[in-house]
Amino acid sequence: MRQQEPPVAVVEAARGGEAQGAPSGRPQIEVQGVSRWFKGGQVHALDRITFDVAAGEFVSVVGPSGCGKTTLLRVIDGLIKPDAGRVLIAGHPPVPGPQMGFVFQQARLLPWRTVRANVEFPLFVQGVPADERRERAMNVLATVGLQAFANAYPHELSGGMQQRVGLARAFAVDPAVLLMDEPFGALDAMTRQFMRLELLRLWARLRTAVVFVTHDIDEAILLSNRIVVLRPRPGQVDEIVRVDLPEDRWEGDVEGLQRFRELHDHLWHRIRSMVGQSAEWATSAQGGGGRGGEPAPGDVRPGPGGS
Amino acid sequence: MVIEVVGEAEPSTSRSAEREGVGERRSRVRRRTRERFVVLAGQLLVIGLLVLAMQLVNANFGGLTMPAPGSVLRQLGHLVRDGVLGRALAETLTVFGIGYGVSLASGVLLGMVVGGFRTIGRIWEPFINALNATPRVAFIPLIIVWFGLFVESKVIVAWLSAFVPILINTADGIQNADQDLIEMAKALGTPRRTLFWRVLVPAALPSILTGVRVGAALAILGTIVAELYTAQAGLGGLLAEAGNTFQMAEYFAVVIVLAALGTAVSALLRMLERRFAAWRVDWREGS
Repeated sequence: MRQQEPPVAVVEAARGGEAQGAPSGRPQIEVQGVSRWFKGGQVHALDRITFDVAAGEFVSVVGPSGCGKTTLLRVIDGLIKPDAGRVLIAGHPPVPGPQMGFVFQQARLLPWRTVRANVEFPLFVQGVPADERRERAMNVLATVGLQAFANAYPHELSGGMQQRVGLARAFAVDPAVLLMDEPFGALDAMTRQFMRLELLRLWARLRTAVVFVTHDIDEAILLSNRIVVLRPRPGQVDEIVRVDLPEDRWEGDVEGLQRFRELHDHLWHRIRSMVGQSAEWATSAQGGGGRGGEPAPGDVRPGPGGS
Repeated sequence: MVIEVVGEAEPSTSRSAEREGVGERRSRVRRRTRERFVVLAGQLLVIGLLVLAMQLVNANFGGLTMPAPGSVLRQLGHLVRDGVLGRALAETLTVFGIGYGVSLASGVLLGMVVGGFRTIGRIWEPFINALNATPRVAFIPLIIVWFGLFVESKVIVAWLSAFVPILINTADGIQNADQDLIEMAKALGTPRRTLFWRVLVPAALPSILTGVRVGAALAILGTIVAELYTAQAGLGGLLAEAGNTFQMAEYFAVVIVLAALGTAVSALLRMLERRFAAWRVDWREGS
């Protein structure tokens, strides 16, 4: 709040570009000028956030901690209301419910329910009859390779398996929108790789509109059609980058591609410059480093898609 | 390519984990058996030391200070054969059973109301804490005036002893249910009623069961205290009678029965807890 508010720097690189699977023309998720304060106006979490997600599009949100990524997801879900602006899901205000899949950093499984009963829980909330519930839960569990663990309890599973159950629970209801809050952040590197593949497989089949929050730049590039970069305090859209890598990028060695490195360097540079800007970080950073490419507030940098 | 390697690694690691699991399980069972044996032996040793100490004090200071373990056992035998102990035990268990049963129902029910409705909870909190901080014995004169000296007043004392901790534990369990799970359920659009019965109450179950177990011990205590302070009856009555007439062997015999009763009820409830909240016990002991 004490900073002067820079004008929102948005580079809509994907504008005019063909967003896959958007037949109706209307985006599945519209975030329009969303602002949100906390603690009676003391903390400005989100400042006029605007972006769209087309039906079947995978959009990642990256940014340093404190940029309101989690708050943004909760606003999109309808768990909290924005103080200004609005969110539309298929043209309607969001209502928390089974049409909105939500995957959290921790799997958040009910410890007293078996794996199957956990996957059934959203269907139960929806009022789906018991035998259909069971059948659908088993089908989703099969797609994440966990049908053998249907009767196990969450504490009997590894962290990666628990998160797969979390994914299965989100996909059990065929959500129109999938919101993911650093879902693989708590997993070890190898499991994380495997989970990304798993997620892409599920997404490729169901083509749900996804908003994927992460602080891992490589992950964002690997998974997304577009990346929304947020800057912190208050959380603002810094730029929106289109990831122009082949669709089936997980088939080959993407991380070795020249384009991948360019995107990575660009994003990393942006985020590092934000961290350098913050007084709080500048004092704690060793040797006062990280200030290298400090841009003037409001500096509009063309996204790699346009360069 | 990277992903392919990871994909292959997954099943093989889980298979080796399984193989490891069998051996580990066997050694863990062995370790547990050994531990159980050590615990039991230790407990027998403590009993042995107590008996020895009794014997020594008896030999040096006489039967009034400390009865000989042998005469305590003989007295216990007499009490059993006369049917005195059986009758007293039946009286005590009746009072305990009714008082504890009513406190379970009322404590859990009101605890759910207090824990589930924020405003109601906030209104009642100071009064519940005041009641909790007051020794239940303080109410006995009033209870005698209101309900007399017999079974009714004893049941009320037993109920009052267990009711408060059961209520507090139930309410606490619901109020402190895992916020992450609540948010998850809300994100799924779970209606309030479903949220309460399917998330809050199961999440509170461990805390509720703790209240139930603590309540049982306090209900026994309340029953005995009531039997001492109102018309003497049951095991508390026997205790008072023996104590007041300095029949120390009989007195100790009754104390042993009381201790055994408390231990048995606790053990029974722990068993029930394991059965009905297995996920919690496993989760604590496993991994």
